[in-house]
Amino acid sequence: MRMAGRTHISVTLTFIILGLMLALLFVLDIMIGSTRLEASDVFRSLFGQGTEHGEIIVMQFRLPKAVTALIAGAAMSVSGLLMQTLFRNPLAGPDVLGVSSGAGLGVALMILTLSPVFEFSSLNPLHGWSLIIAACAGAGAVMVIIMAVSARVRDIMTVLIIGILLASAISSVVSLLQYFSNESMLKTYVIWTMGNLGNLSPVQVRVLLAASSAGMLMAFMQVKPLNALLMGETFSRSVGVNMKRTRIALFASASILAGSVTAFCGPLAFIGIAVPHITRLLFSTSDHKVLVPGVIITGATVVLLSDIVSALPGGGQIIPVNTVTSLIGIPVVLWIIAGKSMMGRKI
Amino acid sequence: MNRGDKILVTENLSVGYKSHGRAAPVMEHIGLSARQGELVALIGRNGSGKSTLLRTVVSLQAPLAGRVIIKGRPADSINSAEMPVLISFTSTEPFPRHNIRVREVVALGRFPHTNWVGTLTDTDLKAVEEALEVTGLLPLADRNIDNISDGERQRTLIARSLAQDTDILVMDEPTAFLDLPSRFSIVSLLRKLTREKGKCVIYSTHDLDTAVNEADSIWLMDGITIGQGAPEDLVLNKSLEKAFESPLLTFSQSDGTFSFLRPGAGEIALEATGICRKLTAKALKRCGYRINPDAGLKIIAETSGTGNLWRITGGASEESFRTIYDLVNHLPDEPTE
Repeated sequence: MRMAGRTHISVTLTFIILGLMLALLFVLDIMIGSTRLEASDVFRSLFGQGTEHGEIIVMQFRLPKAVTALIAGAAMSVSGLLMQTLFRNPLAGPDVLGVSSGAGLGVALMILTLSPVFEFSSLNPLHGWSLIIAACAGAGAVMVIIMAVSARVRDIMTVLIIGILLASAISSVVSLLQYFSNESMLKTYVIWTMGNLGNLSPVQVRVLLAASSAGMLMAFMQVKPLNALLMGETFSRSVGVNMKRTRIALFASASILAGSVTAFCGPLAFIGIAVPHITRLLFSTSDHKVLVPGVIITGATVVLLSDIVSALPGGGQIIPVNTVTSLIGIPVVLWIIAGKSMMGRKI
Repeated sequence: MNRGDKILVTENLSVGYKSHGRAAPVMEHIGLSARQGELVALIGRNGSGKSTLLRTVVSLQAPLAGRVIIKGRPADSINSAEMPVLISFTSTEPFPRHNIRVREVVALGRFPHTNWVGTLTDTDLKAVEEALEVTGLLPLADRNIDNISDGERQRTLIARSLAQDTDILVMDEPTAFLDLPSRFSIVSLLRKLTREKGKCVIYSTHDLDTAVNEADSIWLMDGITIGQGAPEDLVLNKSLEKAFESPLLTFSQSDGTFSFLRPGAGEIALEATGICRKLTAKALKRCGYRINPDAGLKIIAETSGTGNLWRITGGASEESFRTIYDLVNHLPDEPTE
């Protein structure tokens, strides 16, 4: 939607400010880590001129970690935005619909049951490709179930409740798996659930980038139907939106985005729900032509910030990033529920 | 007046739902039509299938039998990309919760005309501004839809429909939940669209009064049949009366309106003139009295410089009152014959 001049300028300005912030945080994220490195050493390492020690830390650890934070934040946020618009529910998100849980189940099955067979525990199972496939299959399976339900059940609230039930059922299954697994497998799994942006090899970062780009491209292709969906399904159909095709595209995009990020980084709690709301507030619009790039840049910024905060204790201590994103996300969710956007309306 | 060709026709149409492969018709053998530049009101009782009919007319729902013909072409031969250019539909869907401005909502009406990302060209922008102007929304265009009244929100939907630039506009209950002035202003806006823009507007409503007064044609749903005609035709042939028949209501053929049936309190004579007579008669009617010049009980109203005075004569005692309220309170419940 083209907008009035002033609005257009303020949108551009918001993008510029967010872009600068993102760049600043990105640099900061590379500077800060559990090992102290001089700023000059970090910069020289980036261009292949640093000390051997510095180059390994920067190129093998910090840069992949910062890029992962960028992609993970962007991908989870787009996934959440798509679900919120599709379900016309401000509380929809990968966590709520059970998509993250589905991905988690895939990972749990991999770590907790198959690792003795493949002797994953001797290596680091989190590097395994099998994990990605398992997580995406899990996320996709939940999406298919939700899609099948939403084809039968017209009421979108019922679909959301089924998603929540599904997530609970999956977490019970995972608990059961945990009960029967040995200590080392359990530890690997628990660490995965805390979320970790720093365990990816450069190759895996590229795979994550490819999968997420595909998902985001699909989201970009749907900005027009997404805008129509703001006015409801009947309106969308009345102006010629093919709801079946649109729903499939949105579900596929959302599950690829949530599934691949969850596989590599663990469940990134509350990013999917919270970031779209922060973005709507920042840009004060509901136009998806602005919102899709908007949540990408905001989500990347928020997760980078979380990653920096998680490394703040210093001395080799790192807070799980999932804890930080929860601390940022939960107040936003509370604000949605208690705030004026909800007053007098059904959730 | 020649209002133009029949732009929408239904032929032997059956509407309803299919459940488990079996058709459950709500209404069958529907033969209706609407002309260009015509305001059509669809009325009928709750649950009579008004929404089902409208959704079928705009092809959101497949007919169980028969067909809809739009501009001379069967609806099933018109593809889903072309349909939204011919006919627009506004339902009673709830509004989104997020930030969205009036102008943005109206611009969504351009959906069938824009490219794959929905970029608005100069033509689109002009259509949006025009729709805002016709509906009187220009001063509110940059307001958030959360910050406008229900009536203004309904206007926004009409503007959106108008921006879609179709010859036929179908609206499901555009006056629902609105107060009396808003209802009137919405219906007169719809009428304006038929007169100034040559649109064919079909809307469903429960507001019989405005429909009878403003619509060019009424589609009347009466249980299993559906009739069509000018409001006056339907009053004359008593089908309107039949459709809403109720032991609680009485129908006035001259006004074409329903009113509550009061238990008869008796007859009363009234001697008054002008507006004072009209209003006094109205109050007496409300109390269940019929006006009869020969009745024993009589009210004489006098207008003087100091105000009105009502006197009751012929009853047990003669009394005077300064307001209709006092007069009505002193009338005997059981009339003295």
